[in-house]
Amino acid sequence: MVSGTSAFLKGKKYMHYPEPISKLIDSFMKLPGIGPKTAARLAFYVLSMKEDTVLDFAKALVNAKRNLTYCSVCGHITDQDPCYICEDQRRDKTIICVVQDPKDVIAMEKMKDFNGLYHVLHGAISPMDGIGPEDINIPDLLKRLQDETVQEVILATNPNIEGEATAMYISRLLKPSGIKTTRIAHGLPVGGDLEYADEVTLSKALEGRREL
Amino acid sequence: MYIEKLSLANYRNYGELFVEFENKVNVILGENAQGKTNVMESIYVLAMAKSHRTSNDKELIRWDQEYAKIEGRVQKQHGPLPLQLVISKKGKKARLNHIEQQKLSQYVGNMNVVMFAPEDLNIVKGSPQVRRRFIDMEIGQVSPIYLHDMSQYHKILQQRNHYLKMMQIKKQTDPTMLEVLTEQFIQLAVKIVKKRFEFLRLLENWAKPIHQGISRGLETLEITYKPSVEVLEDQDLSKMIERYEEKFNKLRTREMERGTTLFGPHRDDLLFFVNGRDVQTYGSQGQQRTTALSVKLAEIELIHNEIGEYPILLLDDVLSELDDYRQSHLLNTIQGKVQTFVTTTSVEGIDHQTLKEASTYVVESGVIKKVN
Repeated sequence: MVSGTSAFLKGKKYMHYPEPISKLIDSFMKLPGIGPKTAARLAFYVLSMKEDTVLDFAKALVNAKRNLTYCSVCGHITDQDPCYICEDQRRDKTIICVVQDPKDVIAMEKMKDFNGLYHVLHGAISPMDGIGPEDINIPDLLKRLQDETVQEVILATNPNIEGEATAMYISRLLKPSGIKTTRIAHGLPVGGDLEYADEVTLSKALEGRREL
Repeated sequence: MYIEKLSLANYRNYGELFVEFENKVNVILGENAQGKTNVMESIYVLAMAKSHRTSNDKELIRWDQEYAKIEGRVQKQHGPLPLQLVISKKGKKARLNHIEQQKLSQYVGNMNVVMFAPEDLNIVKGSPQVRRRFIDMEIGQVSPIYLHDMSQYHKILQQRNHYLKMMQIKKQTDPTMLEVLTEQFIQLAVKIVKKRFEFLRLLENWAKPIHQGISRGLETLEITYKPSVEVLEDQDLSKMIERYEEKFNKLRTREMERGTTLFGPHRDDLLFFVNGRDVQTYGSQGQQRTTALSVKLAEIELIHNEIGEYPILLLDDVLSELDDYRQSHLLNTIQGKVQTFVTTTSVEGIDHQTLKEASTYVVESGVIKKVN
């Protein structure tokens, strides 16, 4: 079919493609950051791949979706419930680090210096976006804390307005319980030069100074 | 500092423009509706990343175009600094020395301007909103931290107002959440109020002798900050926080009924007094004009004092509106030290050495030409 020959065809997507490939293009476009052109390129690349590789790829997609759930204890993504961190007997069960996102758990784990448990909130409080305290994983956190073992809660939400509000909110809820509540520090990046820091970061670092 | 090169693309009525300026008074002549003010505005926007005339950036983009670009080269004490600002429908991108800046608060303040336009009389005569805008813009020029605090403040204000709205319609009832939002709000509010107090004290110190000079020693100018929560200038932050907490505790139910934040820097005001009387209400036209002029001239000195260089002065259609005495006072102040842009329909009747030495440009339907 020659493009542009008929006004009827104008505006119809992928009229030139056979149906299987136009379906594949549509599927790729459902991913974030992928537009029609990239989707078409990826779809054609799939055609050139070996059948085994394509099958593995498809399986991986389905498996990730089917076998991964959120840990019923901490809310981290996992293929077994409870997750490997919650199950690990060597970890210190008296400390819980509260983060916004499963990706934050991965970041903390890379550090290899934190041996406590986590709690993933899946978001931060933001009334503007209609997210209240009950819309994120706070009730589960409170349930976990009823157990006497936990002695410290570290609030590691992001250092912006919403993350700060979430941290303050949780710390208020915990106050009556007497559990020690701490907030991670923010300020200068390690290994950086003072002169390269922007004014706002510097002023935050100054506010959070400590006695030596 | 002075701007030596300016180029515009798709800015208001200019398709393309390139012009060089000298470090002295530059007079921009032209009939009405030819684009004189647009040149002034573009210099202002290059410095502040914001227009003084509109809060809608899309208006700056030429009709039917996707983006507007302003580029300039500013000579500062320590050498030249190229600046670039691209305004598209999606937002603004700023480059300093060819490097893109992540935050506009990092960009603003590298080039300093003071604009004096007829609507600046509204700083004295107009609504509190105009005065808040004035004070925020001016502090922002000398303090990037203030700009950052201000943008955080607006965010938390929105969050808090949203929550109060939800409480008003009983969709949310959690008092702890409101407490948290209030605490965040107060933390930022007192920082802003403190900074505004400090700035106004400085501004007053510079404006007082200038006002005295213009009024031939007959008038004394005072500037005071009028906070919506009763805090005092010499109180420290913790005392101010206490006052704020008291106020918000007292008025919680009223705020919940109204569904909005009733107090804070977004409701504060400033007052100008001449010889002890409020100029806005009791001042004559002339006194209001003198006050506006003194404040603007004080700004020039204040910026010079804070950053060690004189800002660029933009006088949009005001020179012809001042009487001879005020005109020469203004021109004497800037003579030989401040790069100044003056727009007017004609220079006749203004007899001053500074203007005789000025470069002149003529603007006609979106084209600018140097005459001498």
